[in-house]
Amino acid sequence: MSHAFLSIQNISKNFGSVRAVSDVSLDIRENEFFALLGASGSGKTTLLRMLAGFETLSAGDVLLQGGSIADLPPNKRPVNLMFQSYALFPHMTVAQNISYGLEMDRLPRAEISALVSEILDVIQLSELARRKPDQLSGGQRQRVALARALVKRPKVLLLDEPLGALDKKLRSEMQLELKRLQSEFGITFIVVTHDQEEALVMADRIAIMKDGSLLQVGTPHDIYERPESRFAADFIGVMNFVPVTQTAQGLVTSNGGRIRAATTMRLADQSAAVAAVRPERLHIGNVGENSVEGNVLAIAYHGLDLQLHVKTPIADTPVVARITANVADSLAPKIGDRITLSWSAKDTHIFPA
Amino acid sequence: MVDRTTFRLMLLILGVIFAFLYIPISVLVGLSFNEGGLPTAWTGFSVKWYAALLANDDILHAAGNTLVVALFSTALATVLGTLLAIGVEIRRRTGKWLETVIFAPMIIPDIVLAIALLSFFSLLGVKMGLHTIIVSHVVFNLAFVCAVVRARLKSFDWSIVEASTDLGAPVLTTLRRVVVPVLMPAIIAGALLAFTLSVDEFIIAFFTAGAGRSSITLPMQIYAMIRFGVTPEINALATIVMSVSVFALALSQRLNKGGLPGQ
Repeated sequence: MSHAFLSIQNISKNFGSVRAVSDVSLDIRENEFFALLGASGSGKTTLLRMLAGFETLSAGDVLLQGGSIADLPPNKRPVNLMFQSYALFPHMTVAQNISYGLEMDRLPRAEISALVSEILDVIQLSELARRKPDQLSGGQRQRVALARALVKRPKVLLLDEPLGALDKKLRSEMQLELKRLQSEFGITFIVVTHDQEEALVMADRIAIMKDGSLLQVGTPHDIYERPESRFAADFIGVMNFVPVTQTAQGLVTSNGGRIRAATTMRLADQSAAVAAVRPERLHIGNVGENSVEGNVLAIAYHGLDLQLHVKTPIADTPVVARITANVADSLAPKIGDRITLSWSAKDTHIFPA
Repeated sequence: MVDRTTFRLMLLILGVIFAFLYIPISVLVGLSFNEGGLPTAWTGFSVKWYAALLANDDILHAAGNTLVVALFSTALATVLGTLLAIGVEIRRRTGKWLETVIFAPMIIPDIVLAIALLSFFSLLGVKMGLHTIIVSHVVFNLAFVCAVVRARLKSFDWSIVEASTDLGAPVLTTLRRVVVPVLMPAIIAGALLAFTLSVDEFIIAFFTAGAGRSSITLPMQIYAMIRFGVTPEINALATIVMSVSVFALALSQRLNKGGLPGQ
């Protein structure tokens, strides 16, 4: 018997012959901010809808505080879903939208209005309580949808791409806002997102989904610094990949150079592999155990830093290196410059090809 | 760009079409206010033919019947048609044939429907009267209400139904507090259309009214009167019926934002 707050046990979902979710097991802790991260079609939304009760389980079970909720209909689950489209009731005011769920719980009228005005305060929309959804901006609608789900104080709040419809600046504000509300209310949040940056910023733990299965579960730091698969390494952030061959002497690149790594993988002799390194771990000049020379093909200016695209003999695609503004000022790299990139052995990741 | 001559010609054609459509109706309305009552000469404005209507017991009785039939058949058709539209939209995947079956009463000639209903009631041995007219009107009004509501459902956001369920509402509560209020403009539009159709429906009412004068409706009364020639009273009556219909139809179109049934 698992002691997890929410225990997802070997659940699967088939739509006809298509397997949307395949044998997923996951333990989620109380008050955890958990992110399900994946590309579209990875099954993350289906998984979320299974937790909300809108999709039945083809196999497996879901336990909340030790009791199965798999057979409960959506309106009987102590779980609420914030919809990607927000799904606000267009004929009701902001206050009516928020009180709807409380009325379904048959709370006394006075208590309902107290709870509604309290949460309107929290989301700073008190003065818009009498507006209809079509008189609100996208960001305001998003907050009403959040308040409507949150005001019921569910044991678990499910959020389907909660920030997907917002512009970039508002999105980064709301990422922190969501995190603040989550700790303030002490509710377990499960967020579905395709935005890796969003997941890294907000979540306590992240699960990467691909083709209906979980690829890796861990803290943002784990996922970013210790990706367990080439897919995870590629999906989160930017990663440079170099094709190599495992030999008795170690990892050898296509032009005969050697790549040193702190970790080793159990690979058969002469088998193909991929070495990988993050752009921010690359340094200009010969200062690490690994180095390679190349020509600068392009420079992308990002304000905080520069991204150099460098053509090297070890990979077909240009190697991306990220250097801070300070370094960029002192080195002043130009397109066509010949430079040496280096990195230390501990920053080399190895994956099977 | 169309040149001026062609444009004038098009305007002329448009004028002729409108004249063809509306001159007969205008004449009818005009004559209903003609003091002398003869179609040949205008002798002055008067509402005396409208006053005469109020004194005609047969007409008042028929008008009462029409109102009863229209109200009851509209109420029934609105409730059933709305539920049908929602059900069909949910079970949309079952195929096109369901839609065809539902809309058939709109397309089948009235005379065929009238004979069919008459045979049906005779077969069951139902005594005919206002109630059979009501049931018969429900049959075709159902299709119209369903069509109007379904047009609205095409742009309906089903996620609000899931949101209502997620917030703890049972199915009927969701229907009452979310689905019906959002569809209300279309439901009212459908009801007004049904009311209009029922008020001036003649053939089906004529076939299913049974013998005797007790369940005669307004169109049937006008038909009975017209056999002795068009009287000024009939003009006045027709003008009233038309006004009611036009008003209800205009309101229905306005509420449904110009959406036509079946669109």
